[in-house]
Amino acid sequence: MQLKNTRGGSADASLLKSKIARRRLIAASCALLGTTAARSQDAGGAAADSAGSAWGVDSALAYYHESGRITAIEPIVNVAKDYGDGKTFSAQFIFDSLSGSTPNGALPSTKAQTFASPSGKSLSAAPTTYTSSSGQLVSQSAPIYTIEPGQLPMDPHYHDQRLALSGDWGLPLTRLLTASAGGKLSYESDFLSVSANAGIARDFNEKNTTLSFQLNDEFDSLRPIGGAPVAGSDYALFQKGGGKSKDGVGAMLGLTQVLSRRWLTELNLSVDRFKGYLNDPYKIISIIDGAGNTTGYLYEKRPDTRTRKSLYWENRTAWGRVSAALSLRYMTDTWRVRSDTAQIHVRWWNFDRDRYLEPTVRWYRQSAADFYTPWLDSAGARISYASSDARLGAFQAVTYGLKYGAKLDDADLQSSSQFSLRLEYYQQTPDHRQSAPGALQGLDLYPGLKAILLQVGWKF
Amino acid sequence: MRIKWANAILLAVGMALTAGCSSLGVKPWQRNVLARDDMRLNAEPLTAAVDDHMYFSKEASSGGRGFAGGGCGCN
Repeated sequence: MQLKNTRGGSADASLLKSKIARRRLIAASCALLGTTAARSQDAGGAAADSAGSAWGVDSALAYYHESGRITAIEPIVNVAKDYGDGKTFSAQFIFDSLSGSTPNGALPSTKAQTFASPSGKSLSAAPTTYTSSSGQLVSQSAPIYTIEPGQLPMDPHYHDQRLALSGDWGLPLTRLLTASAGGKLSYESDFLSVSANAGIARDFNEKNTTLSFQLNDEFDSLRPIGGAPVAGSDYALFQKGGGKSKDGVGAMLGLTQVLSRRWLTELNLSVDRFKGYLNDPYKIISIIDGAGNTTGYLYEKRPDTRTRKSLYWENRTAWGRVSAALSLRYMTDTWRVRSDTAQIHVRWWNFDRDRYLEPTVRWYRQSAADFYTPWLDSAGARISYASSDARLGAFQAVTYGLKYGAKLDDADLQSSSQFSLRLEYYQQTPDHRQSAPGALQGLDLYPGLKAILLQVGWKF
Repeated sequence: MRIKWANAILLAVGMALTAGCSSLGVKPWQRNVLARDDMRLNAEPLTAAVDDHMYFSKEASSGGRGFAGGGCGCN
């Protein structure tokens, strides 16, 4: 009996090795037959592990926390299948749960400040009474919050959930030509986004070169809590309307090139244009007098069109047990935001190549949008566009990260899986601090942002 | 006018790169390193999705690797 078990275990182990070897052989064969190809053809990382066989599943749970602000928990599942004849499919499911405090755009003040949460209809603390749809008289406390002197105004009641689904298909048309199509759906209680994309990729030069072209069409519907404010209107008047929308189209031209046995490069040129309601409906701007006192607030007002252009360059290389990826991106838009991004990942495998460590560094810098202003003075309240959203200001950001990965072979399940753990630290530091008048001096008007990200992943 | 010149230069560089690419590359039997998982573009789609969402929500730029679609309505 024991002998039989031993034989059975040996046979299982042999079968497992055979399956893993076959999987690796299929992946290598795919690479032999064609280049890594453009992203448009890539049905996701799990696909290569499922070449011609079962579905590949890649899952992760991410925990994101900003110091003193938002916390988010995000489970993600990606399933992919490579049908072996060039056809690929992948689908991604994401769920976000966010809660905490978020800046409302107003400046700190030397005096206490009172604000209404988005569902509020006045700045009074007195309960409001209304008749519900069932005819009952309801009395509800006004959803207001008070910020202590010197503190950054943040809405402490922020809570949202997001569900996002996406699917991508790749279909070979000829030996050198591949079509791709995909769609995305993202739903929040106050936001719905639907997009569709289609692309074509052509291989050249013994499949060492791939040129691709993709188009994307997106429609977004906004239903802000409490209604969409009239852009630029007085915050105290609560001028809010119904839902709003925006839509965008984008195009991307990509070039993927095998430069040598150890070097793969990709260059993408992207253009997109959005039009419609591009404001953040929950952001306001403080109006400051000459002495630095807050005299009121306006809802922000952004232009209703935005065109962005970006150039993205990624390089991948490997030597023995080390591989590296370096990416650079330059972006410019019609709001006069310019940004530079550089990111490097270096992966070190152990001797058996079943575990790795991957440090990451990312550096980012952006200039301010031309209508960005931390506050408005009485004269400034007449300018056509204005936003104090710090995300449109000038700042630099760095990310430091470390990822650990381990391959796990399960002889009982006759399968191979991969576990990973990633920890990242993100810090934003504002640039070009504007000198503040009077009472605002000495207050921290540009607090920046610090956040950590922890991600646990399991691929099988 | 400056933008038109920039586009023309970019197009010329792109065409030159494409033409130059015809002399680059490897033979099919030299792809063993390129076949590695960590040499695949978008080798970690979930990590990329988490990062893209984080940066999309906190910065004025997004995309590059692909279309930035979806996400929150705030940016």
